[in-house]
Amino acid sequence: MPDGLVKAIPFEDLIAAARARSQDGWRADLNDQAKARYHVAGWPHARTESWKYTNLNALAGSDFTLAEGGAATGAAVPEDAILAIDAPRIVLVNGVLDPALSNLDALPGGVVLTRLAEAGESDRAVMASLLSEESSTDGLPLAALNAATLSDALILDIATGAVPETAVHVISVGAGENKAFAPRLLIRAGEDSFADVIESHVGGGAEVYFSNSVTQVTVAKGARLGHYRLQNEALGAFHVALTTAEVAEGAVYDNFVLSLGARLARNEIRGEITGARVEYRINGAYMASGTRHLDNTTFIDHAAAGSRSREVYKGVLADASRGVFQGKILVRQDAQQTDGYQMNRAMLMSDRAEIDSKPELEIYADDVRCSHGATVGELEEDHLFYLQARGIDRDTARRLLVSAYIDEAIDEIHSEPVREAMKQRASDWLAQNLSGDGA
Amino acid sequence: MSLLKIENLHATIDGKEILKGINLEMGPGEIHAIMGPNGSGKSTLSYVLAGRDGYEVTEGSVTFKSKDLLELEADERANEGIFLAFQYPVEIPGVAGMTFLRESYNAKLRHHDEPEADAMQFLKMVRAKAKTLNMNDDMLKRPVNVGFSGGEKKRNEILQMAVLEPSLAILDETDSGLDIDALKLVSEGVNALRNEGRSMLIITHYQRLLNHIQPDFVHVLAHGKIQRSGGKELALELEANGYADFAEEAA
Repeated sequence: MPDGLVKAIPFEDLIAAARARSQDGWRADLNDQAKARYHVAGWPHARTESWKYTNLNALAGSDFTLAEGGAATGAAVPEDAILAIDAPRIVLVNGVLDPALSNLDALPGGVVLTRLAEAGESDRAVMASLLSEESSTDGLPLAALNAATLSDALILDIATGAVPETAVHVISVGAGENKAFAPRLLIRAGEDSFADVIESHVGGGAEVYFSNSVTQVTVAKGARLGHYRLQNEALGAFHVALTTAEVAEGAVYDNFVLSLGARLARNEIRGEITGARVEYRINGAYMASGTRHLDNTTFIDHAAAGSRSREVYKGVLADASRGVFQGKILVRQDAQQTDGYQMNRAMLMSDRAEIDSKPELEIYADDVRCSHGATVGELEEDHLFYLQARGIDRDTARRLLVSAYIDEAIDEIHSEPVREAMKQRASDWLAQNLSGDGA
Repeated sequence: MSLLKIENLHATIDGKEILKGINLEMGPGEIHAIMGPNGSGKSTLSYVLAGRDGYEVTEGSVTFKSKDLLELEADERANEGIFLAFQYPVEIPGVAGMTFLRESYNAKLRHHDEPEADAMQFLKMVRAKAKTLNMNDDMLKRPVNVGFSGGEKKRNEILQMAVLEPSLAILDETDSGLDIDALKLVSEGVNALRNEGRSMLIITHYQRLLNHIQPDFVHVLAHGKIQRSGGKELALELEANGYADFAEEAA
């Protein structure tokens, strides 16, 4: 897109600030390469297909300064916003690891954490390749911006055959007003390992900030990885998150994202299935009120035969909020016996709420089973009356019914404690956002 | 003193008048049956009493326990002691039967400023009542009415009634869709709940339910009005002659 090269592109100042901090030649090179990719990809505009329902003008028009790295912020973890899970924590404040808030000593056996700042030569090679890899044909400008303005990068390695005794909880806290930060997490699940990694993205006092995160996952042969994310950012924040997940033969990847916060949020998941007998599960729920905008965009690439993918998203949209669901499944010519299922259901609580749903199947193999669907509905008056006729007041009845609706998606999560923790946050959201008729 | 007093009740739906001046008085512990042809306003009457949205009362009054019933929301009416057993109980996906019962039960306790029920004792109480209706634990765990047969749904209605112990139960076509065995089971459930403090308004098209649940009074509703009232023998007369007489009266 030649326009992209000549048009002004936002956040050049953030890139320059990040570049100035990268004294190390190696990191400076990464910044420069990412900057070049960012310029080529260009800022998403109305005609950019994958961003057609999510307008980033408000983000581009906001002024942010690059968050400081390393300095003590005095921030605390907002306990009532994160997933309440009993697990050791890796806490990032404004995108940078805060060892004092983390329990790095308590990380379970079989899990090793490496920081970009401390990366040895071999890890550097890994990071360099991973940081340049997302320059795919789809052009992911925000991911390139992430690499060009990187706050910190962490590698979480789960050893071959390891079954860590607890999950690991990565908590990203936005604590600086009008700050931008760009955390990156690499999760490498070794062969035949079995682990859960949880992410909570929350605000820690600041109202307006820009979190631009990338999580890159590889799941090796025969491994099982549960990867669960809560997006519960401050209500004035911008949250753009890309997750890429490459899953090898016989592995299970169980992903779930619950989106509750932010003024505008994009949860993008790009998955590649590279072997047979893979269970690829990306599910989620989104709940919005006010004028919030929650975007879930997913792409699953069946690049090998004989694997299954499953995707169930459910949303509740109140007031004048807007939801976006774009789900694409690509089944390549060799990916015979693929079994793909995709469903997006949205419940509109008001006639000003909106959902844009775009399911897409692209199938080149001839022996596959793929189905997709999208539904939009509202609370049924019959259901409300039935509950009211049993003494349950209208507000409680609405919460009970919506909660049941959302819980059906949350029940896709394999891990029982994570399910319960997600339900708790969904229920908090309902208590705060669903009273009165909303319409 | 009457428990329920309906005076000159007129109600419309979408501007169309369905109830055209109902008068009915029920004392505590009395069983009244309302019979009538299809389209006579039977279900409308039950919904108006239960407080469903969409029905507009244009004239008349309903007094329940000396209160103006029409001023109350549907949930307040339920908590005051009105129970509508639905003709078509709805399926509520995702809400477990037990959760639903507990929410209902506690809503009533809160309404009367009483402390909520102890969870274990409540569970025991519900299980005991469910057993008399041949309902097992699985049916209580499953989402409300989801996948239930017609008979199971009606039994579930009676279970809710047994748990909530209303002072006025309105049974809307409870016999519809039931085979003989299910009808017997449901009727036994209803009869077990008869006592001198509990009144019942049984709305039915057919006389057969009244063989199992004996009413004290029978009223014939046609064209939005009660056309005739009598004892239980009136039901037998209707069974023999049908509703043809009342069609002529209105004409």
